Amino acid sequence: MKKLFMSVFTLLFVLILAACGNSEASTNTENESSDSENGSEEVVIDSPVEIEFWHAMSGDHEKVLTEITDDFNGSQENITVKLVNQGSYDDLSKKNMAAAKANTLPVMTQAYEDWITEYLQNDLVADITPYVNHSEYGMSEEELNDIVDVFREANIWDGKYYGLPFNKSTRIMFYNVDYLEDAGVEVPKTWEELRAASEKLTGEKDGKQVVGLGLENSVTLEFNQWVHQAGGEYFNEASGEFMMNSPEGKTALEFVNRMIQDGIARTAGEDGYMSGPFTRGDVALYIGSSAGIPYVAGPAEENGINWSAAVLPAGEEAATPFAGTNVSIFASASDEEKLAAWEYMKFLINTENTTKWAMASGYLPVRYSALESEEWKAYTAENPAYGVGEQQFDAGFYDPRIVGAYGLKNAVAKELDRVLLGELTVEEGLEAAEAMANKELGK
Amino acid sequence: MKQKPTLQSTLKALLYLAPALIILGVFNIYPIIKSFLMSFYTDYDYFKDIVHEYGFDNFMFIFNDSEFWVAMKNTFIFVLGVVPMSILLSLGIAILLNSKIKFRGIFRSIYFLPFVTSVVAVSIVWRWIYHTDYGLFNYFLGLFGVDPIQWLTDPQWAMPALIIMSIWKGLGYNIIIFLAGLQNIDQQYYLAAQMDGARPWKRFLHMTVPMLSPTTFFVSIVAIINSFKVFDEIFALFNGKPGPAYSAQTIVYYIYEKFYNEWEFGIASAAAYILFIIIFIFTLVQLYIGKRRVTY
Repeated sequence: MKKLFMSVFTLLFVLILAACGNSEASTNTENESSDSENGSEEVVIDSPVEIEFWHAMSGDHEKVLTEITDDFNGSQENITVKLVNQGSYDDLSKKNMAAAKANTLPVMTQAYEDWITEYLQNDLVADITPYVNHSEYGMSEEELNDIVDVFREANIWDGKYYGLPFNKSTRIMFYNVDYLEDAGVEVPKTWEELRAASEKLTGEKDGKQVVGLGLENSVTLEFNQWVHQAGGEYFNEASGEFMMNSPEGKTALEFVNRMIQDGIARTAGEDGYMSGPFTRGDVALYIGSSAGIPYVAGPAEENGINWSAAVLPAGEEAATPFAGTNVSIFASASDEEKLAAWEYMKFLINTENTTKWAMASGYLPVRYSALESEEWKAYTAENPAYGVGEQQFDAGFYDPRIVGAYGLKNAVAKELDRVLLGELTVEEGLEAAEAMANKELGK
Repeated sequence: MKQKPTLQSTLKALLYLAPALIILGVFNIYPIIKSFLMSFYTDYDYFKDIVHEYGFDNFMFIFNDSEFWVAMKNTFIFVLGVVPMSILLSLGIAILLNSKIKFRGIFRSIYFLPFVTSVVAVSIVWRWIYHTDYGLFNYFLGLFGVDPIQWLTDPQWAMPALIIMSIWKGLGYNIIIFLAGLQNIDQQYYLAAQMDGARPWKRFLHMTVPMLSPTTFFVSIVAIINSFKVFDEIFALFNGKPGPAYSAQTIVYYIYEKFYNEWEFGIASAAAYILFIIIFIFTLVQLYIGKRRVTY
């Protein structure tokens, strides 16, 4: 009995292993063919190709993405792009990982830069440089330069393209127009003004306890913003060093921490995102993502909150991080699928569509021509909040694109959270953050 | 019926068992073996399944990781906070539901509802209940002059908040099991005891408790194992983070973080194995006690 049992299992495992082995072998040969210099040139799509695009856009964001994709599918004879919503970014990342392990990766995905680094390390992501430079369906020099520099550069590793920018956001400051007017406060432009305004705006208002400044729960995860504003650096990608335990880092953490301890600033807490409390009128100012605009606009209208947005107040200097994801193609796709995905990527971020996308989602257009377009200019004139992000292009910077960036940011955020919760002093917090960062970096 | 197994009868039996065996094998046994092996991978390519080196590094790492020990401590606090309280409460409620009270059926459904409701839905409701400014909980506490408690954002209160919700969530299941146990007790014993003049408390202590011991034993084993494995409740209640400043990070959450967010597959497997061993030891201890204390 035992023997039989074992043999059945052995058989089963052999079958499973054999199945995995096969598909692996086939993907390997595909990789080789597309890696060869002119492999992509011979590819022609003359029979129907359906590709999956895994994304994490929901609500209004998903609606526009579906519209654009339907337009694309309508314009194509043989290519069909199927959108698959994988939930949140976290879920998407997990599903990509699991799919990579199971050899069932989709053709396309949304991906942050540090995900791409991770994929690159594991040979999962396709080098799209041959497509970018292709004489027939590539992009001209002019067209390539039309993509906003910072976004384009973020997709280049060792001179090769591994993605194109898709939904890019930046942090902006929302404010409650009525509260500011009632308190006689100007929109703060510097840290000093931010603190002064928050003090003035905190207090009882129509039976509500209003706090001056609202911050996202992820404030410590994205603390680089404050460090850069203080004139420092959070992480040096070139040297691979965590830089926040510095006088500038201390200034930044002290500034934010003191506002929270003094009760003139708060995080979203159990509300998850600050858009909730802000649109209820619980906070007067709110520093958050430009992609949150639709989430502020809707409820604000319902609750009769009069709001607007402005650029982030500057410390020693103006600085704003650019966040959001890119679109990448997985290496496991066939040449036809890769070409189909490339066609879709081009369509997704062409001038017309990136404008359409930005107007509906609050993300930034990723092309200069879109920023210059009459349509966009008219729209931002009417909806000034959508135009705030682009005013900060010069002050923009990026997250470190290193392997294990998630672990590092998370480990640091954990210690900084302790400071904001009053468990550690600023100095202790920075010491601990550096120790944790170095541990993550394997130092 | 034939006593001696022949090749034919064994094959036949195997055929009947095959669907269950295959499913268990693929989804339970294989992962257990795989993660055991993976806990010894020190240098490997996860996606291509190539292992360059085996060793004990992963275990060394978690034993030296202060976070792992904090997670361990939190897990024990959680188990101690949930299991005894949950058993006591559900036993009490089960006894009430077993007596002749009005609307018994409705009450039974009410208590069983949390068990069949999804954890995510439950957590969303509790997130609202726990809300500092708008929550029901703080409103009631306010009636007694208690200042609002930051249940979900103060590290000191995160664990109590989690424990309270978990007790509530687990009640329904335990109550049903206890009810079944109670109804298995022959009423004749109680009548006899009553005639002998035993008071209710004495009857409970000397009759109900011993006769219910197999049920209590079963409930406690299930409750302890489930509490050690707590994850969904934390994930949903704190919005995908293990509480403020990781104050409610338990061992499964630690494994999850290592595996999915940090791609440290070996370390995650090693931690999972430690959890397995802990649960295994607890179950052995319970079985040992069970043999001596439980009367069937």
